[in-house]
Amino acid sequence: MKLCRVLLAAALALFCLASCVKSGKNMKNMVVVLLPGPDGKIGQIVVSNEGGSRIIGEPGVATKVSSPKEAPSEPFVMNKEKIKEEFGEVLSILPSPPLHFTLYFHTGTTIITEESRKLLVGILPQIAYRKTMEVSVVGHTDRVGSRKMNYRLGLDRAMEIKQLLVSQGIDPRIIETESHGKDNPLIKTEDGVPEPRNRRVEVILR
Amino acid sequence: MKRTTGIMISLAILFPIYAFALENPVAMIKISTGTGNIIRNGVSMEAKKGAELFQRDSLKTGADGSISVVFKDDTLISIGPNSELAINEFLYSPAEGKLSFIARLLKGTSAYVSGIIGKLSPQSVRFETPVANIGIRGTKFAVKLEEVD
Repeated sequence: MKLCRVLLAAALALFCLASCVKSGKNMKNMVVVLLPGPDGKIGQIVVSNEGGSRIIGEPGVATKVSSPKEAPSEPFVMNKEKIKEEFGEVLSILPSPPLHFTLYFHTGTTIITEESRKLLVGILPQIAYRKTMEVSVVGHTDRVGSRKMNYRLGLDRAMEIKQLLVSQGIDPRIIETESHGKDNPLIKTEDGVPEPRNRRVEVILR
Repeated sequence: MKRTTGIMISLAILFPIYAFALENPVAMIKISTGTGNIIRNGVSMEAKKGAELFQRDSLKTGADGSISVVFKDDTLISIGPNSELAINEFLYSPAEGKLSFIARLLKGTSAYVSGIIGKLSPQSVRFETPVANIGIRGTKFAVKLEEVD
């Protein structure tokens, strides 16, 4: 009988311990810190849950959240050492933002303008320097002509740029081409408007 | 008979690939160190550099792992050791006005740099965690989830 009680007590204690550990495991604390963007610009984050919300607009300022029902804490300053200690690893492996280039074309053709040809030469060393793994080449047209014809022209322009890159030694397997035709103009115009700035190929190095 | 079996097997092999091919990739792994996995439809595979990612994929790292990702709209995300991040939604068609980015950090650490979706439509970007959501207006941040005893 006594043994029974001891066993029962022990079982209860174990159960409590187990559930405490379990609920402890499920609880999470969150700390989030705002940082200056790669271009140096400072944005804002809004941290919110059932308990309320907190806006942070200064770099190096953080807030802590202890439960989904508790509002985010008063903002506090996190110094550089602390940021490095907590986030050094994730920050160090963040890649640099993709680079975008825009190349322009003569109307209705796949012939790039003289200026754009010079720009294209500048893209090549960047591909190597950044260890680029993917080059996206997207062709666009102005809004003169049919959708079908412009889709084709956009694709031909993208293929032309791909050929030029490949002829300069870039691995064709990392280049993807697509066409947005007349549907994604840089300068929004009425249909049928010949706009030189819309006759372009965008090259994105990722 | 043999031929039918052959066709069946080919279909079984081809079908999952076809199913994925219907959706476009939304991101690519730029750096992967240590132990890291992509979880897609419940199947786990190694998170290799250059691997493409799709909507609803999750990334999971071991104690020695870290992964960084570049999205099609230039959004950058990295996760540290013992971390798990789900890409819940990623829509990027500026021409059609379809823009949405929802990621969820389930555990560990992460850093985020906003991309074009964040610039064009900041209200369409949400970074979720089990205790709070982070809304983003064109910026960079780092976040950490700690287990509490």
